[in-house]
This record gives sequence, structure tokens and C-alpha cells, in this order.
Amino acid sequence: MPAFFNIIFLLQEVETTRFDQMRQAAANPDLSKFLVIGALLFIIGVAGVLTRRNIIVIFMSIELILNAANLNFIAFSRYLHETGSVNALAGQLFAVFVIVVAAAEAAIGLGIVIALYRNKETIWVDEIDLLKW
Amino acid sequence: MTLSGYEAVFFWIFGLAAIFAGLLTVMARNAVHSALFLISSLVSVAALFVLARAEFIAGVQILVYVGGVMVLFLFVIMLVNVGAQERGREEIFNNQRQVAASLIFCLLLVGGVLYAVNRGYSGLQALNPRPEGTVGQQSIRDQSHPPSATGSSRITEDAENVGASLYRYASLPFEIASVLLLVAIIGSVMLARTLRQEASADDVAPEVLQDEIATDPTLPQISAD
Repeated sequence: MPAFFNIIFLLQEVETTRFDQMRQAAANPDLSKFLVIGALLFIIGVAGVLTRRNIIVIFMSIELILNAANLNFIAFSRYLHETGSVNALAGQLFAVFVIVVAAAEAAIGLGIVIALYRNKETIWVDEIDLLKW
Repeated sequence: MTLSGYEAVFFWIFGLAAIFAGLLTVMARNAVHSALFLISSLVSVAALFVLARAEFIAGVQILVYVGGVMVLFLFVIMLVNVGAQERGREEIFNNQRQVAASLIFCLLLVGGVLYAVNRGYSGLQALNPRPEGTVGQQSIRDQSHPPSATGSSRITEDAENVGASLYRYASLPFEIASVLLLVAIIGSVMLARTLRQEASADDVAPEVLQDEIATDPTLPQISAD
């Protein structure tokens, strides 16, 4: 398998220990790699919530954030399971409840979007300024 | 937990796919494209769940998110986004200053989170010391589930374990979640109904309703069926 990573990362067979360490870390992703991917997904979601104007895309970014949290829960659940924790499945249970809450949030939020569109004829959040003075 | 072999390859493939699909979700101009990229991001994350041996959650993710929530999103986009074609030239992001401020905030968040992961993970490893040389070795739990006949996949008892502990440790939150879903169903029906449906549910006489619809300027003039 290191040969495969040599090919896809275009690595030479140089005898530097740091290179070998990086290749070893890439060939054997552990908990921290899951956490990094979860963090990047979370930050992409935060950026979407803060910058987009379309309220539906903002809702989608919120789904991305919740999904990143789920990824962390699952990764820690696996980690604790392998270190022999008694209640390691709590992470998976939390992920189930996060999915439930996300579904409820999407249903209510999209109902609000429909009601809002019926009244204001817009889905751009900077034009929805009833509470602004 | 350490993935090795082909699991590592698939981890990188699906992890990068999730991140790039998430980026495209935020960057896409058309909301339908955003929804489709979000679907591919969710499916990639579900594959990461499978790699982390959470097959039940992966299945729930596909069924609930991709099958339910995203279809709901697409329906609402189709219902709402009628002016998207003629307003296609419009700016999709907020004002320049707000975008710059939020990007700076996000960069700070990236730095902080990556620093925290690096620092905290080494602390976590120090807390749970594992013998050297286990990198690339299968875990004890995997050894207890022998490979299937093809040698490639294992059927774990994940769903059984999750179900048992869901009812054993979390039965009260389970019931609360069911009540929450019921409230969400009723609330979304209440929110999304039209004035006409509202009035007919409240037993308003039809002629009063016709007058009200005709004089209400906020309603779009759809022919009253």
C-alpha cells in the first residue's frame, strides 16, 4: 500500500523521515483525520450561512454543519469503542438524535420559507428586514 | 482507530469528495445545483460513517437526509424559486464587507480548530497509550468479526447494538424525539397552508372568503379553484 500512495502523491523514494512520517500518516488515517474533515465541513457550512443570500442555501449550509457534528460523533464513538469504553455507542445515539432534529428543523424551516415567500415575494435574506429599523 | 489498506484509500476519496461537494454547495449559483452537491456531500459522509463502522447511521443518513430532507428541499426550491431565471445575474453573496468579515472569521476558525485537533489529539493519545506497531494492524473488534467469504467486507452487529442501547439508555430522549417530529409535522402543515385553506379549516363562509381573497393585496392572484 505505501507503493500506491507513492504513485498517487507522486512521492519519490527519498529517505527523509518527515516525508515517511507524512506518508505513514496518510496511509493510516486515524481519529484526527476524521476530526479535520469534520472541522472543514463545519467551517464550509459556517461560511455558507454567513455569506449566502438565498435562504434555502442557508438552510443547506446548516445541514452541512449538523453533518460535520455527526461525523465527529461517529469518529469518537469508534475511537472509544476501540479503547474499550463501556458506553461507546453514545456517539451513535447522539448522531441519531441529531439527524432527527435536523429533519424537524428542515421541515419547519422550509414551511417558514414558503410562508415568507407568500407574504414577501422574496427569498433573499437581505430583503427580509421587517425587524430592522 | 486506524484505517489501513484500501480503507485508507477510500477514506481519502470520500473525505475529499465530501469537502469539495460542500464547497460547491456553498459556491453554486443555482439552488438546485446546491441541493445536488449537498446530496453528494451527504452520501460521501455516509461512506465515511461506513468506514467508521457505523453502518446503521450511514443507512439512516441516506434514508432520512437524501431520501427525505433533500427531496423536501428540492420541492421547496421548485415551489419558491420561480424568479431565479430572470434574476440570474443577481449577486448570490452578501455585501463585500460582510463576506470579507465572515471569511476572516472562518479562517480564524480553521486555524483554531486545526491547532486544537493537533494539540488535543496528542494529549488524547497520551491518555490512551497503545502499544507501538499497531499501526496498520486490524483492531481487536475487527478480529472478532471474521471476514466474509469474499474477504472484503464484514457484516458487523452495529444495527443490533445501536438499537439495543437506544432503548436501554436513551428511551426517554427517543420518545421526546418522536413528539418533536409530530410537532414538526403539524407545525409545517400549519405554516405552509394558504389563506384559503386556513379559512376553510376555520369554517369561514365561502362568499366571505372570496371577498377576502379578492381584497387582500399581499396574496398572489391565483385563480380560486
